[in-house]
Amino acid sequence: MLQRLFSLLLIVLLIQPIHALADAPEGYPFVSFDQAMAKSQRESKLLFVYFGRYGCGYCEKTNREAFIDAAVRQRYSKNYALAYVDAESGRRLRLPSGERIAERDLGTRYNALVTPVFTFLNTDGELIHRMVGVQRIEDLIDADNKIQAALSKAKQQ
Amino acid sequence: MQILTIVLLWLVPASILHAAPWQFEHAVNVAGVESSTTHKIFHHLDSSGRRNIAASTLGVAVAWEDDRDVTPRIYLAFKPNTEDSFKYAVQISGEGEAYEPSLVALANNRFVVAWEENSQIFSRMVEFKGELRLGPTSQLNKGTAAHVSLVQHMGHLFALWSERTGRYGQIRSQRLSVNTNGTLEPGINCPIDKVPPTDEQLYPTGVITDNRLVVAWEDRRPKHTIIMAATELQGGHCRYSEPIRISEKPESRNLPYGTGHGVSRVALGRFGSDGVFAAWADKRDFRDGYDIWGANFSLSQGGFGTNEKVQDDFGGLSKQRHATVGGHAKGMLVVAWDDEREGNADIMLSWRENGEWSEDWPLPVASDAGQQSNPSIALDSEGNLHIAWVERNAIGATTRLKYAFGKLHTDPGL
Repeated sequence: MLQRLFSLLLIVLLIQPIHALADAPEGYPFVSFDQAMAKSQRESKLLFVYFGRYGCGYCEKTNREAFIDAAVRQRYSKNYALAYVDAESGRRLRLPSGERIAERDLGTRYNALVTPVFTFLNTDGELIHRMVGVQRIEDLIDADNKIQAALSKAKQQ
Repeated sequence: MQILTIVLLWLVPASILHAAPWQFEHAVNVAGVESSTTHKIFHHLDSSGRRNIAASTLGVAVAWEDDRDVTPRIYLAFKPNTEDSFKYAVQISGEGEAYEPSLVALANNRFVVAWEENSQIFSRMVEFKGELRLGPTSQLNKGTAAHVSLVQHMGHLFALWSERTGRYGQIRSQRLSVNTNGTLEPGINCPIDKVPPTDEQLYPTGVITDNRLVVAWEDRRPKHTIIMAATELQGGHCRYSEPIRISEKPESRNLPYGTGHGVSRVALGRFGSDGVFAAWADKRDFRDGYDIWGANFSLSQGGFGTNEKVQDDFGGLSKQRHATVGGHAKGMLVVAWDDEREGNADIMLSWRENGEWSEDWPLPVASDAGQQSNPSIALDSEGNLHIAWVERNAIGATTRLKYAFGKLHTDPGL
């Protein structure tokens, strides 16, 4: 009986993030923006924010053709605090300033006028780099290379 | 001379050239409590259907959420027509986290507020008799719910919300009646679409026309967001028509990926004897982001008609959101939203004028420097326009809650 209950709980826990995250690529530790920002500050990592939309075609294309790549998954999972924002969702977020904001308004604030938009943010949420529309494997690898090179250079100075 | 005329026309703001039916003098603060250096306050006007303001015969009320004591709570402020400021204010919600209040006016200077608190739906009446008097709180549901919207017309009162049914939200309606002691008595409660939800149904709102409730909401069952609607069947008793899709699928869009374009947050308004208009943010021109679109409802034709673009084309490449609809029994119909075509967020209006949507008009008292957003509008019995919005100096800054009164001075030419 206890084993059955545990299995049921496990299924619920496994299903819930998929439902909550809508179109985030599978196999990545994407979490909500406020959770990712807390992680970013805690671990001194940059944020990588994926602004998507439920049913977004170019998000699906990028998921299937670029995020599917093992090297992309390894790099992004390791190097960044990953946030997925559904630009139509009313999900409530709490920013470090104390402000409550809905995901869709966060999308507007970061100019996610079309989807997908991918942004690299520093631990204060300030924009470092932004990529709009469909991305290929080489685009994501190239962006990561540039960001990591800039970080290494900054550390050396 | 011709060149001089062109230069002068270019220098004169568009808002002066384009005569609006309403004359606005100045904006006033709604909430007396503002941020200090040690405590930041953020106000939210974000009810489902954008019903945060309501006008009675003697005054106007605004309901909102803010976090002045850290926990988000619901407040209401009232301004009698005879006074210039909102000096009467009261906390509406209880001790829990409360969000997204919806507000309607009843006769005799009474208002009803409904809100979400600890993921359940509550409502109470507020009456102004020289001071604000609060009625008892009524809990409207037991399950996990959000996005409540109130509907009122000629003494009929309904609450609509999205309630978890299994994994997904399902839109439910509940008739409310007002007892003589000011208690709101919940009546029949039922789902609008009785089919168990297979994806999210969110952010409902409604209007009553020809004694029937018309409900519209966001629906994710096609695996992208569309706007759907249903109409109460004759005789009422919580029976509704089959839901129909309002937001149209754009022609010649057949991409190999994705399921469809996005839409966001429908608002409904009544106008004329039986007119109903729905407005929402729509991403069918997907390279431009969301634009404000809408559709007319006709009971005799069984639903909503062809979609029409409410905003003009000058805002095509900028952000529009938070559409709110106001209507009047004489036929006036106006839509407001926030719009970034001038760089900052401003409040923009468009109204029906000789059967067409007017040019977009930046509200003079809400289109200056800084950010003005999240409008909610109401037309009073005289056709005057009452509008509340959220103002901040810069993106991310603390907020102020503002109100302006627009005196009707010309017939919009229906």
